Amino acid sequence: MPLICVKDVDVEFKVDAEMTKSLRLAAIQLLKPRRNISRVIHALRSVSLTIQAGERVGIIGPNGAGKSTLLKVLARIYPPQRGEVKVEGHVCPLFEFVTGFEMEATGWDNIRTRALLLGMSAKEIEQKIEEIAQFTDLGEFLDIPVRCYSSGMLLRLAFATSTAVDPEILLLDEVMAAGDAAFIERAQTRMNELMERASIVVFASHSLQMLAKFCGCRGRRKDEVVYGPYPIVRSDFQGGRNLVRNTRVSGKRLDRARV
Amino acid sequence: MWGDWGACPPRQIVALREETQRTSGCSLSLSLLSIGDIPEAEWQESTDAHMEDVISAARLWPVWLRLGLQDVRLRFRRSGLGAGWIFLNLAITLLAIGVVYSRLLGRDLGEFLPFLTVGLIVWGYISSSIVEGGNAFIASEGYIKQISLPMYVYVFRFFVSTSLTMLISFLAYPVVALIYGVGFYWGTLWALLGIFLLGTVSFLLTAIFAHLNTRFRDAAHIASLGLQIMFYVTPVIWPPEMLRDRGLPWIIDLNPLYHLLEVIRQPLLYSQPASPLNYQAVGIFIVVLAIIAGTLTRLYRRHLVYFL
Repeated sequence: MPLICVKDVDVEFKVDAEMTKSLRLAAIQLLKPRRNISRVIHALRSVSLTIQAGERVGIIGPNGAGKSTLLKVLARIYPPQRGEVKVEGHVCPLFEFVTGFEMEATGWDNIRTRALLLGMSAKEIEQKIEEIAQFTDLGEFLDIPVRCYSSGMLLRLAFATSTAVDPEILLLDEVMAAGDAAFIERAQTRMNELMERASIVVFASHSLQMLAKFCGCRGRRKDEVVYGPYPIVRSDFQGGRNLVRNTRVSGKRLDRARV
Repeated sequence: MWGDWGACPPRQIVALREETQRTSGCSLSLSLLSIGDIPEAEWQESTDAHMEDVISAARLWPVWLRLGLQDVRLRFRRSGLGAGWIFLNLAITLLAIGVVYSRLLGRDLGEFLPFLTVGLIVWGYISSSIVEGGNAFIASEGYIKQISLPMYVYVFRFFVSTSLTMLISFLAYPVVALIYGVGFYWGTLWALLGIFLLGTVSFLLTAIFAHLNTRFRDAAHIASLGLQIMFYVTPVIWPPEMLRDRGLPWIIDLNPLYHLLEVIRQPLLYSQPASPLNYQAVGIFIVVLAIIAGTLTRLYRRHLVYFL
């Protein structure tokens, strides 16, 4: 059974010095080891959560709250500095869209590449490629390089491919924003189909409307999304206000942790 | 360990959570996960995790093979000559260097050109392993930040594209050899061993510089500076005997790239294996590179994505 278990996970981004340390800074640190020159953004602190098969979880919070980081931890892209992550089942991530495309290659080529990266076999791809192409509804646009695509078209391509994979765990990050109304509707139908196959869907958004639409619920009462003590993301759904509290950045204080 | 779960301080996880209920439709429920909900599971933290990374990446050969081939294809997609640029580039460089240096060094063109061709092809391969291969992770950032695959998939990807480019340019050698009457005998087959060794070096260089460049963005510039100097110090365009005769043999003998050139040049030009010393030196070079690559992989494995 697909399962996500996250226990006490911390993710820190070292802002200037460490992310891509220049040799000069490396030398300085070597000479003066005590001088702390790196600012740290504590994107996730002590996050624990369990998601079991058949659940759809919406993660809500304003920009910089750590939603995307959390999703990337679940996708095993960011190995956490502390804590443990256990993800069972075939994960299919749908994150930012302009990346992960080979801009000079055609739509068809990109479908094949993406499907392969997501773990489909060559045989499986040939079986499904017609269906994927149909779902994108891009028609002859598939024959041209994707650098000519609009962001909505890239989204369709990515969504159609990624959801064709039979994912057990689908991770979505605010991606629906670029699709037009008709596509969102069809995407929702497809998502519902995925759900019926008892998979996990985790969807992050700052928009309650979007979240409500995908989770099929109405934001009628005040809920909280709390991931451990840091950062606390409180969402006052009724007022439509999102508050970030205690997004503290160790080292140097920043107004807000943006990652 | 998950077994210690009960010992950790109670922490509430409240999530906007909707449980799918097939019979009664959907309902929004605020579910509080209690500590006991988390199932037992085993955690494997192997010390050889970095080697497993390499092996599991190798198993994903359909992925990196496709990415690598695509890179070669896309490089020439919008150019009129396409892969012809590889040959044109080589031909013009050969012509320019060949005419000038054969005269300068007092060599016969028929002897000098085949020598130069092999040298330039091998050198081009080494330098593209370092320069292009060094970009393996940086250029693959779009994939790395979207899909979790072993990092070595991208090392293999660039290994495929640089190696394929080298193999294409290698097709120029038989042409040059035929024109200038270089014979092919059984001894020429020693070149296969040479190419295998060269490929190994290229793979390790790609791995090393991919890690270094991601960590230190200055590394790429230092590497290209180093390559430029090495090009003049290594007997690529001048025959090694000349420097040896003039009293600087150590510059050649201590240079691993010289030995690497020899294990390919000797079989191709003279249909004979290179000297045992050459093979030993290349062997030591590979071991050293492998140790460096392994260390870097172990050190940076879990941090690479944060450096991007």
